[in-house]
Amino acid sequence: MLKGVHQKLEPQQTPAFFVRGASPFSRMVFFCALSIILMAVDSQVNYLSKFRQAFIGGLHPLERIANTPSELIRDARKYFSTHNQLVQENYLLKQKAFEDQVKLQRLKALTAENEHLRSLLGGNVPIHPRAILGDISHTGRDPFRNVVIVNRGSRHNINAGQAVVDSNGVIGQVTRVYPFSSEVTLITDKNLSIPIQVERNQLRAIAFGQSGNTLDIPYLPTNVDIKIGDKLVTSGIDGIYPAGLAVATVTKIEQDPASPFAKIISTPTGEVSHHLQLLILELPDQIEADLHPKDQEGADSKETKSNKAERNG
Amino acid sequence: MDKPTRLYVYITLMIALLFQLFPWTGQGIILRPDFMLVVLLYWLLRAPYLCNIATAWVVGLLMDLSTGSLLGQHALAFTLTAFIALSFQKRLVLFSAMQIVSYVFALLVFTRFTLLILKLFAGHEAPSWHYFWPAVTSIILWQFLRLVLGSIARPKAGKAD
Repeated sequence: MLKGVHQKLEPQQTPAFFVRGASPFSRMVFFCALSIILMAVDSQVNYLSKFRQAFIGGLHPLERIANTPSELIRDARKYFSTHNQLVQENYLLKQKAFEDQVKLQRLKALTAENEHLRSLLGGNVPIHPRAILGDISHTGRDPFRNVVIVNRGSRHNINAGQAVVDSNGVIGQVTRVYPFSSEVTLITDKNLSIPIQVERNQLRAIAFGQSGNTLDIPYLPTNVDIKIGDKLVTSGIDGIYPAGLAVATVTKIEQDPASPFAKIISTPTGEVSHHLQLLILELPDQIEADLHPKDQEGADSKETKSNKAERNG
Repeated sequence: MDKPTRLYVYITLMIALLFQLFPWTGQGIILRPDFMLVVLLYWLLRAPYLCNIATAWVVGLLMDLSTGSLLGQHALAFTLTAFIALSFQKRLVLFSAMQIVSYVFALLVFTRFTLLILKLFAGHEAPSWHYFWPAVTSIILWQFLRLVLGSIARPKAGKAD
């Protein structure tokens, strides 16, 4: 029997049905329809997330094998780092720790004072979320999305929706959780938005991810009080990102006379490409998330009432 | 390799998946060849009785799952590419080596283009021109694969058994 390429060289008189099964065209139509159905289901309904999780969980060993060469290189580099380098780094870190400690002492006093004042006003004390340290195992494989994969998953109690920060600022949000890893969408991704506040004048707005590693703050009037160099921090009104974390710095303001809105472009302060560790913040409990805005409102209205009373009196 | 078996096809596809899962960063992610697609096209053109449109669909689905993109995107693109690849597969014995390479290159560009359209429909931003670079690196990989697994061009008269 001749098979493969050689078989094709012979003139074939019989219909090819029994050699190849269904015709390529009917197969193509069937599988195209199946793909389109899959796309529709995956984009609109959440049925397939379990399937995806199971698959990525099963793929974990293969992923570990694929990661070993780069890990070996990294370890080797660590091993061969010179004594001088380590001493220098140690010195710098000690200096930094000392400076931070001095700042931390002041911070403790300020926090205590702040909490005391808040309790006097009847407002509630802000929650300090707990955090889990994760390592970036690799950047996303899809060039269309701004994601990184972190080596902490549902086995480490990570949930979708948790905020992710590094030492410089907000990085993004956990969007998909797999058993041993999770996918963090960066704030520069087009699909992610983050409620922010201008540090200088407490102006609230929402920043959207934009291509080219920048953030865009749309729908603000041209005369809005934002300058180049302004620091943007999280406002905390969404209940996901704790208030006061650095997000971005305004780098460019374009004013188009034809448009009623200013085009404000800012660059994120958190740097994913520079280091490997990041912190995954725990979501505030559901009850707290529900009660928090109400209490805040109550405190606000009380405050305004007392202000009015003062003004009247 | 004279007579490829089904197992051999699946093993090479698994190795391709391993390379796909390799943590590519920086320039690597721009230049990364489509390992799975190249190996798939190789088997589609060489042994269509072992690897057909159904295989292409499953490979596409694996790509969707491992890249974390919308399920069905790679599957649809790979299915269409496999159909075009197979429809000219019988004529391939008449092609010269250079013609086969340009045929594969056209298929690689077609897959990228289909995927680009699907991604744009899903609401992603249009990428810059370097989106098509992997087609070039993939064709280099194709040449390498031809050396390792054997040519698919017309066998020489003396070699045919």
